Amino acid sequence: MIDHQKFTDWVDKWLRNELTEAERLEFEAIRRSDPVLAQRAREQQQLAKAMKNYGQRTDFRSRLNRIHARLDMDAVRDEASQLSKVRKLHSTGGTLRQLWQTYRPILAVAASVALITTFGTLMLVRQYQSSHKQQEQYSMMRRDLQAIRRSQNAILQDLNARERALQINPGQVAGSGFLLSPDGYLVTNTHIIQDADSVYIQSTKGDIYKAKVVYADTKYDLAILQVHEDSAFRVKTTLPYGFEAAPSDLGERVFTLGFPREEIVYGEGYLSSHTGYRGDSTAYQVAISVNPGNSGGPLLDEKGNVIGIISGKQTSSEGATFAIKTDYLFRAISSIPTDSLKNNSIRMSRKNGLAKLPRKDQIKKIQESVYMVKVFKHEK
Amino acid sequence: MTEPSRLHVSDDHLLAGLANGSDTMLEELYKRYFPMVLHLILNNSGSEDDAKDIYQETLIVLYEKVTADSLELHCQLKTYLYSVSRRLWLKQLSMRSRNGNSLVDTEDLADVDDDLTDHESRDRQFDLMADSLDRLGEPCRTLLEDFYIHHLSMQDITEKFGYTNADNAKTQKYKCLMRLKRLFFSVFKEE
Repeated sequence: MIDHQKFTDWVDKWLRNELTEAERLEFEAIRRSDPVLAQRAREQQQLAKAMKNYGQRTDFRSRLNRIHARLDMDAVRDEASQLSKVRKLHSTGGTLRQLWQTYRPILAVAASVALITTFGTLMLVRQYQSSHKQQEQYSMMRRDLQAIRRSQNAILQDLNARERALQINPGQVAGSGFLLSPDGYLVTNTHIIQDADSVYIQSTKGDIYKAKVVYADTKYDLAILQVHEDSAFRVKTTLPYGFEAAPSDLGERVFTLGFPREEIVYGEGYLSSHTGYRGDSTAYQVAISVNPGNSGGPLLDEKGNVIGIISGKQTSSEGATFAIKTDYLFRAISSIPTDSLKNNSIRMSRKNGLAKLPRKDQIKKIQESVYMVKVFKHEK
Repeated sequence: MTEPSRLHVSDDHLLAGLANGSDTMLEELYKRYFPMVLHLILNNSGSEDDAKDIYQETLIVLYEKVTADSLELHCQLKTYLYSVSRRLWLKQLSMRSRNGNSLVDTEDLADVDDDLTDHESRDRQFDLMADSLDRLGEPCRTLLEDFYIHHLSMQDITEKFGYTNADNAKTQKYKCLMRLKRLFFSVFKEE
């Protein structure tokens, strides 16, 4: 058993790295074998270290005090007060930086929430739009006249009071329409005459007649107009074209006349499908170029039979125009309550005097029965 | 030291100088950042003496970290010193039970929590050692300081204290150490 004093001496030497190799080995062996002595060695080590730290700090303190004693306090005060001037200049920047430091986590959370909300909403809107896109692709070919009021004013001739009235308040919506029977019944689209205060029709020659809506069918988008007790309207004996209710074949050459602008415009194409927009069996799809204002115009086949009424087109693809089948025109007419016709049934003819004529002559005859439909609405 | 040369010494050089005990470097360091701390303390209801105490304690924190090679500086030295001083002063203010919870800050702050926790435990150890050595009395205190702090050899101590031989000196040192040990460990518990 090694005595305490000798062991303490060894620990001191060990701490100072002064043990000889043989002593070191023996010392290590004792520490390993005797936990009590090992603990005493640790304690002595701690104590020595604490004393060393104490000495180090005391020494450092006296060094600091020596430096401080040599310090030119006036210069330091000067510098400190200069500091305060500079700081004051930058104090707002400092405050901002501190606010930023303080609220940075909150800002980060807020920003994340904002980002998620924004993109989430965008995605939802996207999804919603894509599911509703096709509906929007269907555009009704009526024309908004507000935009072209000025040119219209220039074109219209000041012939009579009615036209003056029109000049003062030109139609807000325009489309096309055509005669169903010689005595003044016309067909056009319901979406043109919707919410109308008054409806006028204008012939290719520029004659304007007031018309009343006899019937408006929203299901087939067909509306029946009648020239309103106007003596100026000359009743024809027959219409040049007939109405063909039987389905036409794909590839049938077709043409249309309408009023996408103030002049009547001819368009030509072919029947491309037996169904309309999204498989709508009441309509044909026609490869024909139409513009706003063509709505309500007749769709005629080679022989000059009316096989449909232009109603709209798909905005996403070119040359996909839709025309309501004549068959549904008949259905619409047959569902008109008889009293709104005042017992004058619409006499529609299947007779057709155009079959043998060349296209130019067909058009000359047909255009007299095609009218521009002008609609006046109460300004909302 | 003159103004231009102050700009030439980088913070890294200052820290290196601090670690190997250079007095010029320490003086340079002392001068460089004392105005900042003085400004802080004076603007927050302290005196010049407070500023001196706080600044010196701050430098002690830095010094002991540097000598223990455990300084991890994640910011400018200036920011570190400012943050430490600020915390020490806040503590001082709360001890004086003044309204010290909002200081007027002029500098960026760094996270010095760990360093200050270390410093507090070293502080306790230092105070305890100072107290133990005081109670130990002479000549034990000087004998132990000479051996353990100033690293004199037993031979030097024998001559300095006029012991007849080194063994006597060793016995004396042993007795003194045992007394100090009792004083110190009666309170100190290694955390």
